[in-house]
Amino acid sequence: MRNSVEFSVYGDYALFTDPLTKLGGEKLSYQVPTFQAIKGIVESIYWKPTILFIIDEIRVMNAIRMESKGVRPIDYSGGNTLANYTYLKDVHYQVRCHFEFNMNRPDMEFDRNENKHHNILKRSVQAGGRRDIFLGTRECQGYVEPCVFGEGESFYDKYGEIHLGTMVHGINYPDETGRNQMEVRLWQPVMKDGVITFPRPEECTQVRVISEMKPKLFNESNVESAEQLLASWGEEENR
Amino acid sequence: MSWLLSLYETYESNLDHVGETALRNEREYTLLPVSHTTQNAHIEVLVTENGEFHSAKVIGKSDASTLIPCTEKSASRAGAVISPYPLHDKLSYVAGDFVAYGGQVKGEEPFETYIHELQNWAESPYGHPKVIAIYRYLRQRTLIRDLVSLSSTPVLAVDENNRLIEKWDKKYETLYPEKPTIFGVVAGDQTSAFVRFNVYSPTRQLDDVWKDKEVYDSFIAYYGERLGDEDLCYVTGKKLPSTDRHANKIRNAADKAKLISANDDTGFTFRGRFVQSHDAASISYEVSQKAHNALKWLINRQGKTIDDRVFLVWGNDSLYIPDPAEDTFALDPEAMPEVARMSNTNEALAREVSKALDGYKNKLGDKTKDHFQPEVNILVLDSATTGRMAVLYFRNMNKELYLDKLAEWHTSCAWLHRYRKNAQGDFVAFFGAPATRDIAFAAYGPRAGDKIVKGLMERMLPCIVDGTRIPQDIINSVINRASNPVALENWEWEKTLSIACALINKHLSDKKEGIGLALDENNDDRSYLFGRMLAVADVLERRALGKEEKRATNAIRYMNAFSKHPERTWRVIQESLQPYQARLGAAATYWTKIIDEIGFKFKPEDFNNKPLTGKYLLGFYSQRHALYQGKNRDDAAEAEETHIEE
Repeated sequence: MRNSVEFSVYGDYALFTDPLTKLGGEKLSYQVPTFQAIKGIVESIYWKPTILFIIDEIRVMNAIRMESKGVRPIDYSGGNTLANYTYLKDVHYQVRCHFEFNMNRPDMEFDRNENKHHNILKRSVQAGGRRDIFLGTRECQGYVEPCVFGEGESFYDKYGEIHLGTMVHGINYPDETGRNQMEVRLWQPVMKDGVITFPRPEECTQVRVISEMKPKLFNESNVESAEQLLASWGEEENR
Repeated sequence: MSWLLSLYETYESNLDHVGETALRNEREYTLLPVSHTTQNAHIEVLVTENGEFHSAKVIGKSDASTLIPCTEKSASRAGAVISPYPLHDKLSYVAGDFVAYGGQVKGEEPFETYIHELQNWAESPYGHPKVIAIYRYLRQRTLIRDLVSLSSTPVLAVDENNRLIEKWDKKYETLYPEKPTIFGVVAGDQTSAFVRFNVYSPTRQLDDVWKDKEVYDSFIAYYGERLGDEDLCYVTGKKLPSTDRHANKIRNAADKAKLISANDDTGFTFRGRFVQSHDAASISYEVSQKAHNALKWLINRQGKTIDDRVFLVWGNDSLYIPDPAEDTFALDPEAMPEVARMSNTNEALAREVSKALDGYKNKLGDKTKDHFQPEVNILVLDSATTGRMAVLYFRNMNKELYLDKLAEWHTSCAWLHRYRKNAQGDFVAFFGAPATRDIAFAAYGPRAGDKIVKGLMERMLPCIVDGTRIPQDIINSVINRASNPVALENWEWEKTLSIACALINKHLSDKKEGIGLALDENNDDRSYLFGRMLAVADVLERRALGKEEKRATNAIRYMNAFSKHPERTWRVIQESLQPYQARLGAAATYWTKIIDEIGFKFKPEDFNNKPLTGKYLLGFYSQRHALYQGKNRDDAAEAEETHIEE
């Protein structure tokens, strides 16, 4: 497809915090990444307000393992405290995702050039992402490489189904839904032979409204279109 | 499955245990019903079915534990907050004439709040006859009067002005020749006594109110209607009444740490895109109650606590699951000595281990019920600070896979151990894997603190459950301690040695170079050969010394130096062997021949002073075992026993 990309992402540790353990600060990771965490990784590879990423599926390559560390969280009111964070250890995922144009951003219509964005995205994956990749939290550095989805051996090949209980799917932001509110989506993932197939965000039925929120404004004044960029490169060469 | 959902499902599948008390280590524990907790009561008041006073007594310490209903607010009440428990509570709440007898109350009278809430319950459609009887009695406001003026022996003591005595004093002896028993059970003031109510019937046998399932259900149904707003539950995904107050006292009654807490508004734990903790996540009252109650029950029932770190293993369908921290002997004490005697091969062990584990496998049950697969949960909990508790490790895995991994561990980390006692208190040999606790003591010495032990136990879990490699520092530490026998008591050294061999063997089999316990005469690894030579020297000298002489042999004394400079030290050992060879005369040729055979196996460039690897311990152990086994079995048994008894 002209708008999809496949890559593998890996790292020594990952922390996809279970929101229930986030309240008190003794963080514990979910067993697998959420839709939103993977979306964040893809957006670190390449993103523009014109496009919207949809994660199709991920494949868990390594066995799910946990390791805890004593962490000194930064307490903004001063003072000193200690917490135990529990990370996923030695993670590796294959991701298949695609982008669509964000129709809630008519202001970005001038930038809707699928072929161009797809090529930039592919080059960005090749380069390991435009910004640094992290697996859930900042302290968990991740690395991105292009791959063929489904290739290679996974710990969970022929493993059968694993029911993962209720998990956060992701967060709805106003510019993605057209509603002026922030919402959280939940769902009940089932991992089949290591593969989790995500439903599209709008297909999630368990949605919880959090607060009111307005979309950030993007237009020609603060975004450079891909054509403009290419044109300016052309100028440099001609000079 | 997530850990909270697993706990919730465990509660749901053990509903028949709710309210049942059981004992472990002489401590009572219960799977609490929702909206209930336990308290120690001091006074028991009996009320007739018509709501009249019947009798009262002071409760002895052994019988004090009482299951009481509680609301979210009352469960976490503290300080001056007025928030009564729904039924049983302290004197200041339940006695309508508390002030009349000199009781001190702050602000509004607690009794008014209490009796009003009790009235709501009693008059609700869920009201239970027993609760109604208790309500009818209490609204008469005569509790203290009845307790004081009890004809036989009054439960509460008053002074000459009809005020409750605060502390027992000699001056009251004129009023009460014998010190009233209430002062023996209440810690502080008489007015802080906790009262529980029961209903008496002259004609029927009634369940105690705090053991009556109907009363539990009555309160649960009544309270269920009064819960807060519905919200999406992050554990079940259903719209249910939510709560932001979660249980503490998870590990024990004095434990303040909560698994889910939500009052950190100053740090940046959840803030950012969320303003209040409620924005970040929500959990339903029912799930929070059931999951926490199930966790407390499991910890009491089968948890292992080391320095406040809890190790818990349970199955969703059948609760008890073999613990990964245990050694092979604990799996099946009957069968293990058999394996040690029969043969020392991994096949025989694998057979016995799978036999021991098959019992659990057979209970796997109906596989077609896909949603409820038989699963094993492994959970480690600890708190870094007093207020919060963290999940340090959680694994939820297929039971069959778990048992396979366990069997793999027990067969790959196996060696011959002699430190376990059987039911008769005799030392028995078993072939298998050591317990993680024993590994900790082998690595860090017998005086290793609990902090170190619990850390090692957590680090070993992935090695057992996931089959990852044992951390090198643990192996090194065990090898170093096993190479230094003069620093240890003999029994301790033997234990450390066999555990070291087990770990080395596991390490080698991870690299596909595993060596069996049986002596491998074709192995020409220099460490292995040096180890064998050391064993022959040890056995030769031991034999020459005779049974009476218990001092350490030269081989043992030089072992540490030998592991670092084998060639140089071997010369010293061999020189000091000569007098013993002479004493044994012709009998010594058997061993001398073996030394020659081993020496012949060396590649010339290998006989040098390079430090030995852990393999030499395997060579040492196997060779010694072979010598004791081979020539004369009775002698062998004796000689080995002297090693242990010392």
